[in-house]
This record gives sequence, C-alpha cells and structure tokens, in this order.
Amino acid sequence: MIAMNRALSAISRFVNRRQAFFFPAPAVAVLFLIIVLPIAFNLYLTFTKWTIGLGEPRFIGLANFVELFGDERVWNGVKVMVYFSGASLALELALGLMIALYFNRAFKGNELVQAIYIIPFAATPVAVALIWRIMLNPEIGVLNYLLTSVGLPPSLWVSSAQAVVPTLVMVDVWKWTPMITLIVLAGLKSLPQDPFEAARIDGANALQIFWYITLPLIRPVLIAALMLRSLDNLKEFDMIYTITQGGPGIASETLYLYSYNVGFSFFKAGYGSALMVVVFMIVLVFNVVMNRLRRDAPAV
Amino acid sequence: MANVILKNLVKRFNAVTAVDNLSIEIHDREFAVLVGPSGCGKTTALRMIAGLETITSGEIFIGDTLVNDMAPKDRDIAMVFQNYALYPHMNVRDNLGFGLKIRKFPQEEIDSRVQEAADILGIQELLDRKPKELSGGQRQRVAVGRAIVRKPKVFLFDEPLSNLDAKLRVAMRAEISKLHRRLGATIIYVTHDQVEAMTMADRIFIMHNGALQQTGMPLEVYGQPANRFVAGFIGSPAMNFIEAALVRDAGAWFIDAGGFRVRAPEAFYARLEPHAGRPVIFGVRPEDMAAHDPAAGAGDGNTVKARADVVETLGSEIFVYLTCGAHSVVARMEAPERPLTVGQTLEVDLKMVKTHIFDKETSRTIV
Repeated sequence: MIAMNRALSAISRFVNRRQAFFFPAPAVAVLFLIIVLPIAFNLYLTFTKWTIGLGEPRFIGLANFVELFGDERVWNGVKVMVYFSGASLALELALGLMIALYFNRAFKGNELVQAIYIIPFAATPVAVALIWRIMLNPEIGVLNYLLTSVGLPPSLWVSSAQAVVPTLVMVDVWKWTPMITLIVLAGLKSLPQDPFEAARIDGANALQIFWYITLPLIRPVLIAALMLRSLDNLKEFDMIYTITQGGPGIASETLYLYSYNVGFSFFKAGYGSALMVVVFMIVLVFNVVMNRLRRDAPAV
Repeated sequence: MANVILKNLVKRFNAVTAVDNLSIEIHDREFAVLVGPSGCGKTTALRMIAGLETITSGEIFIGDTLVNDMAPKDRDIAMVFQNYALYPHMNVRDNLGFGLKIRKFPQEEIDSRVQEAADILGIQELLDRKPKELSGGQRQRVAVGRAIVRKPKVFLFDEPLSNLDAKLRVAMRAEISKLHRRLGATIIYVTHDQVEAMTMADRIFIMHNGALQQTGMPLEVYGQPANRFVAGFIGSPAMNFIEAALVRDAGAWFIDAGGFRVRAPEAFYARLEPHAGRPVIFGVRPEDMAAHDPAAGAGDGNTVKARADVVETLGSEIFVYLTCGAHSVVARMEAPERPLTVGQTLEVDLKMVKTHIFDKETSRTIV
C-alpha cells in the first residue's frame, strides 16, 4: 500500500514538472496524425509513381515535376486559374469596396438591406452551385428565359468554351462579394472620423476624400480581405466542379481541378501530389507578396 | 479676416436641443472663447460654423456671407481638432500641404507656405515624419500648422489642448495666444477649461445647456457674473455658495446664513431692497476670504468664525476647507507663517464688496 502511494506520488510529481509537455500532448498527437502526416506523405508521393490500387509507390525522383512542365493541361490549368481568380478577385474587391462604402452611410432600411445582401455568402456552396447549374442551362435555365424575354440573344453560358470562365466568375462574384463587403465595412467603421472631417474642411470633394484618405486608410483591410478570399478562390473547387467539372472540354479546368482529376479520377497519386504542391506554392507566393504589401501600408 | 455672426442658431438631435437660440457676434481679429461644461453645446456650435453639422434653424454669417448651405471647403475656415485629426498615412509635410494641394496651389507656393508654418511652429525637423512618430505636443503643432498654411478667414479650435499634459498645455496656451497676435486672425476657440478661457480670450462666451449665459472680457465675467452658473464656472477653486436670507436691521442690510451673519456693503443696499425677506444665495470667492489679522482690531463686523477641516498646501498659498455654521466653504489664503492645523478654529474676514448675491429662484445676480 505504502509502496503504491509512493509510486503514485512519484508519477504525479513527474507529470507535474512536465505539464507543458503532457497537457498539449493529445492535441499535438491528433494534429500530427491529421495534418503533418498527410502533408509529409503527400511530399513523399511527389517523388513517386503510384497508381492507387496498383502496387507500391515507386521512387522516381523529380520526374513528376519534369513531366508537369511539358503537360499542356497544366498550362491550361494555370491559364484558367489566372483568368478565373484574377477576374473574380478583382471584381469582388472593387464591388465589395463600393458596396461597403454605400452601406457605410446612414439610410433607412440599411440593416435590412445588408441582411438580405449577405444571404449568398451564407448559403451552402454546393447547394448554390446546383441551383446555378439549373439556372444556367441554355435550354431550360431561367437566365436565358430572362435574356430572351427582354429581346437579348440567349447565351450558352457554361456550355460554351468562351463563356464558361466569365460565367463562373459571375457566380463567384455573386457569392463572395458580400464577404469582402462585410470585412471592408468593418474596416470602414473602425476608421477614425476626424481625418475625414479635416479633409472636408481642407477642401477635398467626395472623390478626393475617397482617393487621398479613404483608400490609403482602408488599404490594409482591403489586402487582408483579398488574402482571406484568395485562399479559397485560388483553389476554388465545389462551385466549378458542381457546375462544369472543368468543362466544356478543359475550358474551365483550373490547376486545382486538374490535380484533383489526376489524383482521384486517373488515380495517379504521385503526379497528382506534385500538382498539388505547385498549387500550394502559387497560393503561398501570392500571400507572401500580399502580406508584404499589407505591412508596408500605413498603420492607422 | 472676417467677423462671424450667429443669429438665433438652433441645433436639435431628435428630442435633444444641443444649441438653443444662440446669437453671438465675433469681431474681426478677435480671439473668442466658447466655454462651458461638457454637453453645453459649444462644440456643436463650432461644428455648425465649420459646416460639419447641419443647422436646425438660424443663420451663420462669415464675413458678410450667409454660409448656412455652404460646404465646409467653401467657407474659408480652418479647424484644429481635439484629436488632431492628422492624416495618418501622410508625413507632416503632406499633412500641412494637403489643403493647398487639393486647392491646386502651385508646388512652390505650397512648399514656401509649409516652410513658413513649420518655422512659426518650430517643426522644421519633423516634416518627413509620420504622425505616429510624433508626440502629442508635436501632433498638436502639426494640426495648428495645417490650419495656418491655408491662411483662412477664421480659425476654429475644438478643445485643442485637452489631450496634452498639464505642463504642455500651459506652454501651448501661450503659443496659441502669440500666434493669434502674429496672424491677426479671427479665432473661435472652444474649451471646457475656464483657465484657458480666462488666459487666452479677448472675449468669453459662456454656454450652459445649449444657451448663452454671458459674454464679456475675462475680468468682466469674473468680476460681474450674470448668474450663479457663470459665477460658479469661472474661477478656481469655484465660488462658495451659501443659502441665506436678507435681513434689514437698524437701517443696515445683513446677510443671514444661519450660523453667521455679515453686513452688506452700503453700495449693495439699493439693489437688495426689492429682495427683502426672499431667499438668496450668498456667493464668496475663495480668494476673497482671508485669515483675520488681530492687529487690525475688531474689523467691520464681517469676520466669521470657522473650523479648518482640511488644509491643502500649494506652497505660496493654501486652500482651507472650512466649516462656517452649517456651511462648508473653501478659502484660498496666503500661506501663514505658523501652519494651520486641522480642527483649529480661526477667524476669517470676508471682502464684502467683492461678494455676490444671487436670487435663489432665478439664479440671476442681484449684486
């Protein structure tokens, strides 16, 4: 009995002295299993050739990375990614800022309009995409019905290689501009009011106040919103996959979608992993650059 | 430069009347101070002059121009804000020059005016710094500089010194006064600090609850306050107010505070007549009380007995918190050679000709 008590107190002393190790240990173990291990495994796979279900991964060095330089679908994926993300991020930022400026003024029903306005952002991405797919249908979709009912020619929307990316941009802008608006609006509301009044007295008109005061002061918030949005946008998947699966042909196949297809449609896990690493590098570089811009911005 | 006239100015925020029928005329080149406690409407009035606040009713003239519907930028005014309101992303040079740049002044003109303002304010070496790299006092100078470069008709100051520490405030007070003389500009200066008002103003406009209480030169409002509010607001420590009755006895008027009784000076008699027997408020400034000098004899019957409750020593003078009968009062006296002790009873002389008597009901000044 005494021996057992002694052993127990020895253990409790041991644990006590190493609280910093023992308390976070379970969480660290779980994180290791679900994050570190898969990433490490992914990195390992990039150096292998492995078709899922057919044998063991085979080490092939940098062959996957060499291969992707010559892969036309990679270059197509980069092109679609730049086109889609460039257009949608730019539009979301510009529109989000404009609408935030509009909401930042007192008017009757402001809060109600804001509440309605953020519904697209709150809705489930796949559900939204499914509805859009029906609306965009050239034959039975409501969009062409509306176009023709006002005398405009119908569009092929996502069925046309030319129209598909702009159409996806439209859907993305519809869904995500409210998020940018919310972030920018919060930023605008937190700005000091004095400099704006000083500028009015100094003689600036509304446009000059926007250009010389509002925009520089809100810049860090704009960049933060852009970074946040770009994390999702550069690897936009649910919406594009649900509406077009990258089609017609590969006209809307972003690099991210292509890497998914390689990994999970063609089961080429090694090559798919290499593509994922490239996507990751693009997202990383973009955000490092943005972070630089944000830090150079003036602190308010 | 120009005069500024407010005619029956009213500002209502929903049910609250912030400025209530304010009519004042500020002369060309005058240093006018709007002073009053928080919420008295002084800042709202200033912001209406600036054009930052809409006018509910009434008229504002700058020079001879009715500016009611004029945008702030067209009023030819400059304003110095309580929180400085510097543009945080611009350096000092750009902060100073912004108003000129917006008004499309040629670059050389902007440079020379910025330089001139920087020389006046002694901020030449700060021109390339950002506001966040400046101390409070330096920011305040930049804010003043931004007003100077514009050479406006009227300068508006909104509690510009209240964010500075006490020592700096005294120094900036003197500098702004000096600046006023140098620029010869019309200045409207808002503050809640009666010391700033007294030391800087050509004329003081005292406001309370949105309404103007009194206008006058600093010593006028100090010496002849129009009502009990002004009497209590101007002067530090504040005037002592004692509820009392006016009593006539053997041809003389007495102020009976219950517990002590003092004789009114003869000069007061005519004005006291209509208030015989009515309740009044007897007002004595702390500086108009002095320890009785026994060598001076019995005095003129205006010596009261009091007990010292608290003694605050400031060096050359002391504040003594006294109990006189049922009343607590503060006296500001020269520091005696032998320090007063708490609980000590002393005789205090009142300088009766400097005291005031207010109607208890209307708070208006009787004498």
